[in-house]
Amino acid sequence: MRAGDQAAYAVLVARYRARLGRYAVHMLGDRDDAEEALQDAFVRAYRSISRCRDDARFGAWLFGILVNRCRTAGRRAARRQRMFVRDDVSLARAAAAEPPEAPDWDITVRRALDRLVPALREAFLLKHVEELEYDEMAQLTGAKVSALKMRVMRAREQLRALLSEVERV
Amino acid sequence: MFEHDDDALNRMIDRLREPVEMDPRLDTRVMARVAAPGFGARAALVWEWLRRPRAVAISPIAGLGLAAAAAVLIWVLPTHTSQPPSLPATDITPVQFVVVAPGAESVSLVGDFNDWDARLTPMRAERDGRLWTVTIPLPAGRHRYAFLVNGARWLADPSAPRAPDDFGTPSSVVTVGG
Repeated sequence: MRAGDQAAYAVLVARYRARLGRYAVHMLGDRDDAEEALQDAFVRAYRSISRCRDDARFGAWLFGILVNRCRTAGRRAARRQRMFVRDDVSLARAAAAEPPEAPDWDITVRRALDRLVPALREAFLLKHVEELEYDEMAQLTGAKVSALKMRVMRAREQLRALLSEVERV
Repeated sequence: MFEHDDDALNRMIDRLREPVEMDPRLDTRVMARVAAPGFGARAALVWEWLRRPRAVAISPIAGLGLAAAAAVLIWVLPTHTSQPPSLPATDITPVQFVVVAPGAESVSLVGDFNDWDARLTPMRAERDGRLWTVTIPLPAGRHRYAFLVNGARWLADPSAPRAPDDFGTPSSVVTVGG
């Protein structure tokens, strides 16, 4: 498929929406930001489709664009301090007002993921959720395989610690 | 202890792998943006305007034939008072792109100004087909571009700064104005 074929592109958008959306939601932690990043990725891919040198690898190429869009969106969100804000004061008040109880598992997962710095979160999601090989991750992120292995290892260590903290509550 | 921690981590991974529903209306929004006339249409308008015959003083370009492997030459329009009213009141500068590609059958200029569409800006062969040139109007700002040789080979401009991009293909940056 080449530029201009909008009907064919609409099929591709529908096909990749869920898979790419999952990554964007988990990476950005905010559904609106994720949808915006996903839209941007699809539009940029369409406008630049002549740069996709191997049609058979369109999905991987598109994923690479999304990874970059998420990085940009994450930086923007961090600047406006709407994301990854840990409102420790409110949390402490809430804990004092109500007896402690085990938090919802989805919230636990989200909080644990948010506590990772973006580079670790990105590597962890690409490896363990998107199930990419390290060389694929290196192509998408521009990072070296050794660096990515280190990031995944650190992400796992930090997540183990965070999850065990929660389970002790 | 470690096995217990891994259990929690594996549960987390399983949860994260579950499908995430995205709003299907997102497709409509994407396709609306795709169909909207973008910068390419605006550039075409500007280009049409620029190609109309008129007396324009353009600074001489010395040493064009001695260009290196590739080069971007920027002409400065002396004024923009002759812009038609329909154009935005921004500075438009003709920028000449030059690349040496002996033996090429076709060379196109692609960039963010033409949505990287290789069909929109073909370059013209000069000097026995060694030198390929094209001149396009660009608004002030940074523009990313590359040359596409024979419809397949991407070539960054070795005389210009390289541009980081999302696509894994080489590209360069030209700054117009400012």
